[in-house]
Amino acid sequence: MAAPTATVAALEVFGATVPGRIESVSVSLPAGQLIGLVGPNGSGKSTLLQVAAGLLPGGNVRWAGEPLEKIAMLERGRRASWVPQEIRFEFGFSVRSVVGQGRFAFGDDGRGIDDAIARLDLNHLADRPVDRLSGGERQRVLLARSLVTEAPLYLWDEPLAALDIRHALQVLVLARELAGRGATVLLSLHDLRLVEKLDQVVALDAGKLRATGTPSAVLTAEFLRSVFGVLASRSPGLTLELP
Amino acid sequence: MTRERRMAGWALPVASLALVVLAVVSLSVGDLHLPLPKVWAGLRRTDPWAATIVWQLRMPRLVVAILVGAALSSAGLVMQAFFRNSLASPGLLGVSTGGAAGAVMSIAFGWAAISLWCLPVSAMIGAFVAMAAVLAFARRGASTEGLILAGLALNALLGAVTGYFLCRHTDVFDRNAQMVFWLMGGMEDRTWTHVLIASPIVVAAMFVWPLGRPMDLLSLGQAEAQSLGVDVRRLRRQLLVLSTVLTAAATAVSGAVGFVGLIVPHILRLTIGPEHKRLLPLSLVGGAAFVVGCDLVCRLVGGLPLGIVTALIGGPYFLWLLQRQR
Amino acid sequence: MASLMRTWLAALLLLPLGAAGAAGVRIVSQTVGTDEALLAVADPGQIAALSPLAHNPEYSAVAREAKPYPELVVNGDAESVLKFRPSVVLCADYSRVELVSQLRTAGVRVIVFNHYATLQDSYEMLRRIAAEVGAPERAEAVIAECERRTAALRERLKGIKPVRVISPSTYDIIPGDHTTFQDLCDHAGAENLAATLGQLHGNVASPDEQMLAWPIDEVVVSGTDRAAALAPYRKLPPYEFMAAVRDGRAALMEPWMLGCVSFRRVDAYFALARALHPEAWR
Repeated sequence: MAAPTATVAALEVFGATVPGRIESVSVSLPAGQLIGLVGPNGSGKSTLLQVAAGLLPGGNVRWAGEPLEKIAMLERGRRASWVPQEIRFEFGFSVRSVVGQGRFAFGDDGRGIDDAIARLDLNHLADRPVDRLSGGERQRVLLARSLVTEAPLYLWDEPLAALDIRHALQVLVLARELAGRGATVLLSLHDLRLVEKLDQVVALDAGKLRATGTPSAVLTAEFLRSVFGVLASRSPGLTLELP
Repeated sequence: MTRERRMAGWALPVASLALVVLAVVSLSVGDLHLPLPKVWAGLRRTDPWAATIVWQLRMPRLVVAILVGAALSSAGLVMQAFFRNSLASPGLLGVSTGGAAGAVMSIAFGWAAISLWCLPVSAMIGAFVAMAAVLAFARRGASTEGLILAGLALNALLGAVTGYFLCRHTDVFDRNAQMVFWLMGGMEDRTWTHVLIASPIVVAAMFVWPLGRPMDLLSLGQAEAQSLGVDVRRLRRQLLVLSTVLTAAATAVSGAVGFVGLIVPHILRLTIGPEHKRLLPLSLVGGAAFVVGCDLVCRLVGGLPLGIVTALIGGPYFLWLLQRQR
Repeated sequence: MASLMRTWLAALLLLPLGAAGAAGVRIVSQTVGTDEALLAVADPGQIAALSPLAHNPEYSAVAREAKPYPELVVNGDAESVLKFRPSVVLCADYSRVELVSQLRTAGVRVIVFNHYATLQDSYEMLRRIAAEVGAPERAEAVIAECERRTAALRERLKGIKPVRVISPSTYDIIPGDHTTFQDLCDHAGAENLAATLGQLHGNVASPDEQMLAWPIDEVVVSGTDRAAALAPYRKLPPYEFMAAVRDGRAALMEPWMLGCVSFRRVDAYFALARALHPEAWR
């Protein structure tokens, strides 16, 4: 009944429509890729990610070929992991305990928590209450929590926005590793210079899908001009890499 | 942080011990002086008069105080997780104001004088009418803010009903005094009938107990919790119904005892941290101990409404704790 | 002590209600009206405690007589009543139902009075209490005396023109018919305008504007000094605009008289009649 795994898309969204935010957006993303979601402010990136994560109604969504409504709530926690753009923590849970929440759908078995804390450079903050963290630190806590789910699909909303350049590059390395292990990572981002490190780009504009494809194919000069209203040029400038 | 963790292990045994001690003192103290051996004889029912005092007067009052304390503080904890706000209280959605309106009406119309059941049942009906209004609103997909605003409106509306009957009956002095006394809450002369009326609290508490872990996730964000595998819609509905049942039953038998549901969960969170798996049992026991203690003060001082004592004791302690946290 | 208590309880349960034993009866009274009736018919040893207002001359006709007896606490619980070891507790219909229930649970007979507007109601109260203390003849004696006095008062007021009055209050409440004030007027040659012109029933909010049109001869107020008694009304609308208040036309009563529900109200009849119709005593 099910198609061979290799050809089944990790995430399919058909005709996603949320009035006033996005309109019939359809995408199909293969497994094992690192994919960027780009578009100007208000183009519907966050909305699309929420629809894809099953958090907002408005479209047919399939994860690995299976319609979302057939997947039980708890199972969804194991199959995909969504990270919001910004979060306010009202209560002072410790960093370790919030990261541990990523294992909720696995009966809180505690697996991989220490690794995730180390990978996101949170060791020194592990016992700190999350309501006393900076924006970037909070973002890393959410990513660590996402990491411990070991889900095959990651939907990250602006994971790099609050991070300093070193942590941002580390997160991209991490995302690349996840894709290398066969997971699909869809992340929205604003820094178009980082897009070249990704496998594919999905571009939204004014709630509509404008293009999908490799970064170099999508982000042409005309495209940047018409969608983002900027002039693109390549010139030797400051390039930052992890040591 | 390490202090919190150290406290976490001790808090439940300490609170349980406090509850037991307060319960024993409650059974031994009263306007009617009974020496300790007499109290013991009453407990064992070897002395009929002492048995009447202990089993018919002091025990139901103690049990109601335990149930009400446990209900209000756990309902407060649930509301705080539900609204992701440590300032939420069981009365936020108008349930206790609904109960108060029902009770005041039953006093005003003279039903309360007919039978022991009338006032609590009217209060319960008032509370559930308020709950039905909130749930109907929630079902239409109201946001958290929408729910709070609906609660605000409901509180104002039902408060107006209460106020109307209070004004209407200023002429019947004693009836009015009864209403005011009831609005401040109290445990005077609670009977086994009241225990029976409050018994849904036990059931609701049993249902709340296992929800501690998903409440952790919910308290940090609805969408986030859902993405981690929590059935948020179902959880929120369960929490809303359970906290309403807890609040309604407590209000029906004790009047509008303020402050417990806000302050006890808050104090406990400051002491052992925000993990609901530990907070829930502790709030049940700690809330019970707090109300039993406050009622004991009422009885020793004499004629002081419970709601005033809870605020007088809880308020300063809360301020001191907040000061120390800084 | 406790065994004695048990004996009483057993005796009480065994005896038929009407003939409850007189010897060991200990009565606690919860209201000032029953205090007044109880003091009139019971032996001192039968009175265990009186209401929290018993010693207060503002409300009680028997403040002095009540002095030797302990008072209950305001808003007390069942234990605060039971500590006086009563066999009978006298309550009003506005007593808390939980309290009544717990007293009954403790084996105490609770008598709840629910009518007190008229003199007949007062007699009924007296008779029931006298039956409890085993002295029905005392009630009959008191009632006969009351009847004699009210008859004499009726005789004296015969043919007299009723004086038109109201009973003002600073709480914006006024008594219409079916109130103790109405009963007072009926016996003292007065017309309660709130009932006749105002058509008011019970104690209700005062119709402020309407009242200004009533032909009030005198206002009935409590106090001993005319100026002091009227002072609060001279600054309070609508009373400050009434000619009777401005001109100091007031019948002065002792404070307890305006709320009296026991047979002691007969004293109040006389006080009001004398204040309104001094010519009848000339």
